[in-house]
Amino acid sequence: MGSAVLSPGMAALILFGLFFLFLFLRVPVAFALGLACLPILVIEPRLSAMTLVQETFNAYNSFILLAVPFFLLTANLMNVGGITDRLMRLSRTMVGHFPGGLAQINVVLSIFFAGISGSSTADAASQSKIFIEAQRKEGYDDSFSVAITAVSAVLAVIIPPSILMIVWGGVLTVSIGALFLAGIIPGLLIGLAQMATVHAYAKVRRYPTYPRSTWREFLCASWVSIPALMTPAIIIGGKIFGWFTATESACIAVLYAGALSLVVYREMDFKGLQYALLDTGKLAGAALFCVGTASAFGWLLAYYQIPKAILEGVSAWNMGLTATGFFIAFVFLVVGCFLDAIPAIIIVGSILQPLAKAVSMDPVHFAMIGIVSLAFGLVTPPYGLCLMIACSVAGMRIGDALKDTLIMLVPMLMVLALVIVWPDVSLILPSLISPEFLR
Amino acid sequence: MSETPPDVPGRWRRATAWYHRILSYLLMVSVAILVIPVTLQIFSRFTDLIPHYIWTEEMARFLFIWTVMIGAMIGVREGLHFEVDVWPRVRPRVEAAVKLMAKLGVLALALVFVWSGIEFTQFAWNRISELAELPLWLIHIAWPITGLTWLLFLGEQFVDDLRVLLGRSS
Repeated sequence: MGSAVLSPGMAALILFGLFFLFLFLRVPVAFALGLACLPILVIEPRLSAMTLVQETFNAYNSFILLAVPFFLLTANLMNVGGITDRLMRLSRTMVGHFPGGLAQINVVLSIFFAGISGSSTADAASQSKIFIEAQRKEGYDDSFSVAITAVSAVLAVIIPPSILMIVWGGVLTVSIGALFLAGIIPGLLIGLAQMATVHAYAKVRRYPTYPRSTWREFLCASWVSIPALMTPAIIIGGKIFGWFTATESACIAVLYAGALSLVVYREMDFKGLQYALLDTGKLAGAALFCVGTASAFGWLLAYYQIPKAILEGVSAWNMGLTATGFFIAFVFLVVGCFLDAIPAIIIVGSILQPLAKAVSMDPVHFAMIGIVSLAFGLVTPPYGLCLMIACSVAGMRIGDALKDTLIMLVPMLMVLALVIVWPDVSLILPSLISPEFLR
Repeated sequence: MSETPPDVPGRWRRATAWYHRILSYLLMVSVAILVIPVTLQIFSRFTDLIPHYIWTEEMARFLFIWTVMIGAMIGVREGLHFEVDVWPRVRPRVEAAVKLMAKLGVLALALVFVWSGIEFTQFAWNRISELAELPLWLIHIAWPITGLTWLLFLGEQFVDDLRVLLGRSS
């Protein structure tokens, strides 16, 4: 790096210093990342502001990221096409009679939703509209309703398919099929932990419950939902058996959800379709524009070899496998408070990768620690998208829902610890079903 | 601008609102079309009904770039770009001042997108894409257009924030 004018330390100071300054001034994250790059691009004679444009272009010119709008569209089609309603009825017959019935349904519906869509923000947006008002009417506290809706939405990126897994697999070259399989058990464990939390809340605060459904009702609801429940099998199976690429499997999900809405359940009209398309475009635009400037930021970090400099300090600590796992989770949890998950993978994932490699951590295990930690970042302030969405639907401030959110995070963090300490939680399914994906 | 009452939109406001509607419509259409090349790609692999087009992948990528950029344009007008809010709740005038400051940041990046985007487009002027053989400037021009669109939408918001700041209207 003899040709660079700035030293790596100086460049890191400018990049991170400006980024946090702009964040504090409430410049949108995507713009703050881009602006932080500018002084360096001007100072460094070999670079120019056009580097920023070129790097954003390179980031969007990616077939993998195309999966993001597809999964958002799938989620929107599910909502306007009546798929979500049917899954909700099924959830009610399964867990409605538990204490805190409606909140339990909230969690179980998130698990079903997670198996079809790969986007937590889409889950948070649609379930906030369904549940927060309904739970308010049944006498649940607002902060509890917002918190459980937000934390259950994070399941969407942990249970396959998942946008984060697709991006992780693309950026850090890990098998996406293996990641899909690895996410199933941790995702279900987190779902169970959330149901236990709801149970405890419901007992203490005496939340209402529904009468137990009959077997007949359960079977009817299952029968109606079968076509919808087939979706995960198609997407995940198609990816694992190598029929489709990740992006193509997302496209299949769109076609399948569209066909169910139009032909099988027949609840989608033209207006609904228009809404689904426009909403998808807006959400994808906001989420993905940020990926472009984050890539430019990450590119500059790599240009000055800043990751290497950071890691030299850390590898001197000589951590073992488990300690490294906890360190990685800690870094992602902190970063997740300030950054969206996709840019965080691009910037931080590649910084930490050599560290995981040094203790010969399995790449899939490393990915699961990162993805679960970043998923929790979706509900941690100041920048927790799912929590922000749920709060805005409920019309309350994030601070007011914070206590319940943090309480609910405790059992989820215990599952994360389990994922770190016991690699088999993530690795057992991929090693049983498709061992060729590992190593 | 003080002579235009806020409830009767001026010509400029109507023009930006109209432009916003066109962009929304384009965004809707481009998301819908995105499905087509990828579907073609899957079907051509598993059936013999259609030939195996080589341009589907590139076509999908280029359309995707435009989708992201149009989404980013609309995002500035509708305030959809996510921000981190660490400020306590403050008075409307202070709030307007903070917003105005944040928008200066967006403005700076908009200028960069226009300035470097024009250079970026000229750079691609005589080049064509590898597979579909499309002129590349068609894609690169998304950057200056995005920058210009941001400037247009920002101008409107600056006026609004200044009004609150100067106490002309709520």
